[in-house]
Amino acid sequence: MERENMFMNETNNFLLPYSMAMQNEQHGTSQQLQDCFLNPIWDNSVDQNDAFESALSSMVSSPVTSNANASGDNIVLKELIGRLGSINNSCEVSPHSYMNGKNSTNNSCYSTPLNSPPKLNLAMMDHQIRGNLGSLPFPRSHLNVHASLGPMETEPGFAERAARYSCFGNNGLNDINGHQRMNVEETKDVLSLQEEKSSLSDQNPGGKYVMNGKNDGNLRKRKSVPKGKGKNVPLTTSSEEANAAAEKNELSAKRSKTDDNENGKDGELKGDKNGSENGNNKENKSDQKPSEPLKDYIHVRARRGQATDAHSLAERVRREKISQRMKFLQDLVPGCNKVTGKAVMLDEIINYVQSLQRQVEFLSMKLATINPQMDVDIEALLSSKDMLQARGSLPSGPYSSDNLVSAFPFHFQCQQVPNEAEMPLLPRLMDATTGRSQSMEVPFGHYNEAATQASSVWGDDLQSVVFGQNETHNFESLITTEAQMKAEQ
Amino acid sequence: MQNNSLRKKEFMGKWLKGLQKYNSSSKDMNFLERKKAIKITSDIAMASTRKAGTFWSQALLANASNDDSNKTILEHMLGTNSKIVERASTTLLGLANNNSKKIRSKKILKKSCMAKRVKRIDSHVGLACCVIAKKLMKKRTQVLKNLVPGGKYLKKDSLIRETLDYIASLRVQVDVMRSLAYATEHLHCQQSLVVKPQ
Repeated sequence: MERENMFMNETNNFLLPYSMAMQNEQHGTSQQLQDCFLNPIWDNSVDQNDAFESALSSMVSSPVTSNANASGDNIVLKELIGRLGSINNSCEVSPHSYMNGKNSTNNSCYSTPLNSPPKLNLAMMDHQIRGNLGSLPFPRSHLNVHASLGPMETEPGFAERAARYSCFGNNGLNDINGHQRMNVEETKDVLSLQEEKSSLSDQNPGGKYVMNGKNDGNLRKRKSVPKGKGKNVPLTTSSEEANAAAEKNELSAKRSKTDDNENGKDGELKGDKNGSENGNNKENKSDQKPSEPLKDYIHVRARRGQATDAHSLAERVRREKISQRMKFLQDLVPGCNKVTGKAVMLDEIINYVQSLQRQVEFLSMKLATINPQMDVDIEALLSSKDMLQARGSLPSGPYSSDNLVSAFPFHFQCQQVPNEAEMPLLPRLMDATTGRSQSMEVPFGHYNEAATQASSVWGDDLQSVVFGQNETHNFESLITTEAQMKAEQ
Repeated sequence: MQNNSLRKKEFMGKWLKGLQKYNSSSKDMNFLERKKAIKITSDIAMASTRKAGTFWSQALLANASNDDSNKTILEHMLGTNSKIVERASTTLLGLANNNSKKIRSKKILKKSCMAKRVKRIDSHVGLACCVIAKKLMKKRTQVLKNLVPGGKYLKKDSLIRETLDYIASLRVQVDVMRSLAYATEHLHCQQSLVVKPQ
């Protein structure tokens, strides 16, 4: 018995638009004020969001919640999506709760065939549905639901998300196409009815409940006829006019039916409460489900024309990560700033890593030659002034990011010129150059000797160093410039 | 920069510790042995400065621990952190086992797809350049994987992250080594300067 009552309630709620239309004539704007639904400017997106959100919250929690949420669009969106998901999920779980506008109306269509109005329309259905499908998701400023859905539609990610959640809700329902269509028809009728009224008086408490069914209808439509949105844009106005025309014919019949259904109105509030409680319970359970996919979808937004399935989204995230890190690498690796193209950049990076590794090799080799007996008197070294000096020069860094990797010897030039420690510069420079040019074939003592020789002479006379050293003749110009610089100082 | 100098100091301390240990353990070494010892100690020091948090450092430690002669140094240098090495080597082994299968199956797949691919390239000329670019990238990532220690077992995004880290610490290593080389050299120079007038 209760169950039947529920059905009655549901069908009532679903048929409410028709009764609502009549109510509107009676109640006028007073009800709007009561429900905080007065939104004179429907194009204002925030207002619409609020309206929609409040409507949703009234569905979910209690019928008399205020729409005082002045939260940002994003929050509204998130909540909305979560609720949509939960609603649809709860559709799956409990087909008889009040929340399941669509689902339950399907059932009610079974149980109370009298209450299914759109059978009249079945003949012209196919064509018109298409048209309506196109028209529904678009922002109609004077429609409550559609106006509020409008801004959502413009959000690029919303469509896919909604489609996803409609999948949740639609599981196992695809076989009842006929009833879906009927419901589509119903919502269409609602649409055209409200358009006929085309006033602000669309919003009475019934309007909120209707939205549930409408929402589901929208989602379902998107699922069942995904192309409709893009295709039927030009068709909308004409089809709606046709609807309006058809609607007028049906109006009288429907009014009688809705009169019948108004009897069940008293039980509506109770049913609503039950339903909301059910919904809350279900929400707790079902919230866990949609929260997992939500994480991905909120951060990743597919642009127009991009694929929206999970795999390609994940792939896109991965690629973004890679490119971001590549940018970091670009900053880190000198000479990579001007390079465009990943392959070239990777080349640079590889070169850099290789050069660094080679430097490590070379330096370890050098250290091995310098300390033939391995017992580095480290304490002396650490305490020595030179060490500190060398350390002091470290932060300036040999890789001041503009230096080319390949021009290895010239690091020293670039780096050392501004440095104060010019006295030990030459041996170091020579070491580097000779070590690189003569690599392994030369006995390692050789450049050591050269270095010591050079440094010994260095203190006495610059010119003798420049011209006296055979090893350095490759870098004569370099050294002379340095000499000049020193002279200037 | 502050962080960098801190890292340098840490690396320096560890490396010198390792060198001393090496020095005390074996007296007579030829040039190559010495070089190898220096390199390994510096590598280990570098890896241990990263606290084995990154993959390349783990791979370095694991590779170093494969050699028996290095084990004592490793234990000495890492001290209490010797467990890290075990963990690193085990993870590396596990990854190696996992990936060898994958690679093999990938190779088979490649071979089987080869014929199809060639046809596709012929039919779509526009796709050809895309395929070539992909190939170039693949080659380079392969090279990079060989360069970065433990890179063979990494995916591309994590490989780049590891490369970033590795480059940073390589720079630290090179800086410190260079400064040390320079300092010792300068010490020699001074000694020779002092010696010469006599």
